[in-house]
Amino acid sequence: MSEKKRRRGDGTSSSKPLAKDSVKHSSALSFKNRLKSDSTILASLEKLCRDSRTSSTSTSKPLTLTDLNLASTCREVSDVDPESVKESIECTILAAAKSILAGEGFSFSVPSRSATNQMYVPELDRIVLRDKSSLRSFSSLSTVRKTAVTTKVLSLIHQLCMKNIHVTKRDLFYTDVKLFQDQNQSDSVLDDVSCMLGCTRSSLNVVASEKGVVIGRIVFTDDGDRIDCTKMGVGGKAIPPNIDRVANMESDALFILLVEKDAAFMRLAEDRFYNRFPCVIVTAKGQPDVATRLFMKKMKTELKLPVLALVDSDPYGLKILSVYMCGSKNMSYDSSNLTTPDIKWLGIRPSDLDKYKIPEQCRLPMTEQDIKTGKDLLEEDFIKRNAGWVEELEIMVKTKQKAEIQALSSFGFQYLSEVYLPLKIQQQDWL
Amino acid sequence: MDSDSSEEPPVDVKKRKRGGNAKATPKSKVKESVLKQKSPAEFFAENKNIAGFDNPGKSLYTTVRELVENALDSAESISELPVIEVTIEEITKSKFNTMIGLVDRERVDEELYDDFESVKVREKRLLKEARVQEMNTKNAASGKKTKEPQQLKTIKGRGDTSFFRVTCKDNGRGMPHNDIPNMLGRVLSGTKYGLKQTRGKFGLGAKMALIWSKMSTGLPIEISSSMIDQNYVSFCKLDIDIHRNIPHIHLHEKRDNTEDWHGAEIQVIIEGNWTTYRSKILHYMRQMAVITPYAQFVFSFISDMQDKNVTVQFSRRTDVMPPIPPETKYHPSAVDLLLIKRLIAETTKQNLLQFLQHEFVNIGKSYAQRLIEEMGADFSSKMTVKSLSSQQLVRIHQLFRQAKFDDPNGVCLSPAGEYNLRLGITKELHPDMVATYSGSPQVFEGHPFIVEAGISLGGKDVKQGLNIFRFANRIPLLFERGADVVTRTAQKRINWNSYKINQTQDKIGVFVSIVSTKIPFKGTGKEYIGDDISEISSAVKVAIKQCCLQLKSKIVKKIQARERQERKRNLTRYVPDASRAIHDMLKETDLDAKRKRPLPDDYIEILNKVSTNEITEATFRDKLIQHAEQVDYEMALDYATQTGIIEEPREDIYIKPYEENRKFLDFHGTNFVFRFIV
Repeated sequence: MSEKKRRRGDGTSSSKPLAKDSVKHSSALSFKNRLKSDSTILASLEKLCRDSRTSSTSTSKPLTLTDLNLASTCREVSDVDPESVKESIECTILAAAKSILAGEGFSFSVPSRSATNQMYVPELDRIVLRDKSSLRSFSSLSTVRKTAVTTKVLSLIHQLCMKNIHVTKRDLFYTDVKLFQDQNQSDSVLDDVSCMLGCTRSSLNVVASEKGVVIGRIVFTDDGDRIDCTKMGVGGKAIPPNIDRVANMESDALFILLVEKDAAFMRLAEDRFYNRFPCVIVTAKGQPDVATRLFMKKMKTELKLPVLALVDSDPYGLKILSVYMCGSKNMSYDSSNLTTPDIKWLGIRPSDLDKYKIPEQCRLPMTEQDIKTGKDLLEEDFIKRNAGWVEELEIMVKTKQKAEIQALSSFGFQYLSEVYLPLKIQQQDWL
Repeated sequence: MDSDSSEEPPVDVKKRKRGGNAKATPKSKVKESVLKQKSPAEFFAENKNIAGFDNPGKSLYTTVRELVENALDSAESISELPVIEVTIEEITKSKFNTMIGLVDRERVDEELYDDFESVKVREKRLLKEARVQEMNTKNAASGKKTKEPQQLKTIKGRGDTSFFRVTCKDNGRGMPHNDIPNMLGRVLSGTKYGLKQTRGKFGLGAKMALIWSKMSTGLPIEISSSMIDQNYVSFCKLDIDIHRNIPHIHLHEKRDNTEDWHGAEIQVIIEGNWTTYRSKILHYMRQMAVITPYAQFVFSFISDMQDKNVTVQFSRRTDVMPPIPPETKYHPSAVDLLLIKRLIAETTKQNLLQFLQHEFVNIGKSYAQRLIEEMGADFSSKMTVKSLSSQQLVRIHQLFRQAKFDDPNGVCLSPAGEYNLRLGITKELHPDMVATYSGSPQVFEGHPFIVEAGISLGGKDVKQGLNIFRFANRIPLLFERGADVVTRTAQKRINWNSYKINQTQDKIGVFVSIVSTKIPFKGTGKEYIGDDISEISSAVKVAIKQCCLQLKSKIVKKIQARERQERKRNLTRYVPDASRAIHDMLKETDLDAKRKRPLPDDYIEILNKVSTNEITEATFRDKLIQHAEQVDYEMALDYATQTGIIEEPREDIYIKPYEENRKFLDFHGTNFVFRFIV
């Protein structure tokens, strides 16, 4: 399919060997002329939507680690109510207290979250954490500090669970700046504690501050208040950091459009793209935070909508995609709740650079680091699983060129919403 | 140390050669006489920058270093531990004028002079001075320290060079009475025969200083000299006839030797600039002291202004001297056509076979025969070497280039030695750590060389980052450091981090000494060794790396020791935090709350004790501290069993013998003696 399209693209370019500017405009125009009526495009979307529904209903029950007999070798966390969190913290601390009183100091057994303890499970299409754990002892020079920080974080979470209130990671850090020194330390210990107690981070009542934004054809309740995301102005609705507050999702959208960048998101929002093609537009402004990923997962599972992704044509864009789909290494212990499998890569793909005649001055040369990341990605299992992606990535590494979504603005600021995306959808050009 | 008798011959030979060469007129003279008819002295007078006499400041520096290096050579040649006194005495203009018998003249036409102060400038200056005065009084009133008004600057004009009397006294061999004029008053009179690791750069020594004094002050040089067991001191006052390249003797007499002194004292009055080259001269002396710790240097600067005077003593720290570098023969791959001709002219050997066998290193008898066979039909072992035609010489030269010879060994080299280098570094820098390494002899273009390196960390008068000290044939190189192989290697090719050394934060001293029969200097000033010779640069890199490796283990040990000291503090640092957090949680734990899993009895007991305050925060704290102490103790035991009691290898120390003749009063006990200085 893609072969045919590429040939068609080539044909238009050779037919108009005019001056540079006019080529640019005419090629932009020629793409526009190829657009069919919106109804035709919508028809293709409806097909996609139907496909995705049937596929998700066919495998009604998602696979779990237990199904794969991996429960014993892998570790996963689950949502737990505050009472149970409190109870397990108390047990942990009582064990520590007993050990101290016996004159033996104390230590915690903390699952290792290092890269060597991660595993990609192809059947699940996500990264999971293995069961290796290490002893964090208060009487060892290398771990004494971390143990103290862990104890402190445990006591803070204990308080949160008793009062059943939520705080942000930043709040947590500021309760004892002197001990934590910088937020990275308290954040990483927080993840450790999640693993230790076997519960998700949201169960610890600690959330990250709001980062993700959603707009479009979706209605849900946030802590009981009804939110209609078509009536959120141009800025959109911030994705609530505490996913428990979100309920009653309803939508008449045909797909979810995942956008890497705030700028592209704003363009689409202002042009009311979601009214022309019924969709939900989501961005996390770069690397997605936990809340956005949880929201994504929830939308996908509850609304059963296909997800199309619009990211930069560089290794970093793919990395972001991989985090949505397979989870990050840092949060692999919670990958089952955080990952949204089956995201389609809509654009901007390396092959689009030539296909859509993105001018040379809008393309950037890849740095050494970029090329290395690209090559590393080629080795990743989740890329290898999709032959189309491998092909695209190979083009990127070979041409050593990258382009941002904004590169399309060279044909006019609204090119993205009025030509590029409709045409892509019309051609069903996703991988 | 070699015995005296074995050392005498080479020096004698050298002396004879000097005389011989002077009579036969050196090559350079022949060449130049064709073109311009210049004497070597004239040539060097006109191109004094080659020998390091670029400007008055550098001339002062070079004069000092030439004299010091001569003195060291002289003392080492008789295996005497060098004692060298260098004095620079500033002579003001009026003093200088009276010295040369010129009457001081007052300026009549003030405006004629460059430093004339016009009315406008004077007003400006007075205004400024008044302001400074005002500020000073204000500061004085408020009790602040006042700055000395900088009047020196206004008195002294631009580039005010002045005159200096440079005196260098040593305890060396001294010079034979009759040879003194020729040894000092004739340039290029001592072209060295053979090949030897030498200190000097051109062999010009004090002669260039003499030319410079002639050019700048016109005053003669004064030499006192006495040889061992000589009952008189030769005193000679001479200058040089630059055009004819012959000494011009003012006074040459024998005086009484009252102090039983042997050595030489050379005094020269030159134009110079102390202000700009002060630090260079002091650096030179210091680095010289590093590389020759067996010498004693006293350096003093005397001027009319008391506060500017400097006296530094670099005392001797060892009596182990490196052996005198012996003369060696050329390696066949290191000779050129001209050199072959000269060797043939000078050789005492009759036939070709003997010539090859005896005038070169690494050619044995059988190898010489093979070479001669290879040369062709018109060569034979028995042919007289002096009869070789120039074509035949070219053939020999070509064969030398192409044939394979063993590399020269390093026996002809006399490196400073790791022991001396280490001592030198320790004595002058007082570093926290030092490591030294001596490489094995290697070869570059037929000349053997040895690279020695020392790395020091910390110490006094060392700035942060890399401090590079370069030595070539045991003399310090101070100029043009940027392009030098040592600088480049240390800065670019050593990954200091991997040796736990911080290149920007730590005070790193890098000492590299290269000795060779021919140091491949770059540039006219012979102040640096190029970075393009891969043999040398890799040898330097290896030497530095070896030092770093030695240091690394020391640094790691030090870090461990520091950790050990801080271990207890670190282990107990978080006890309050942890015990408070644990106690708080237990305090708030509700015993009666509904639980999915009931608590075991021992946990309930703990909770009960917490609620009745039987267990408090202090209980946890005490228990934790107790445990930390126990752990600390166990770790200390572990450490001790691993490392043993002796942490560092012990080093010999050198105790300077008490030299002065004093009277002692002895108190004898049964098995001891107390000796008091009376």
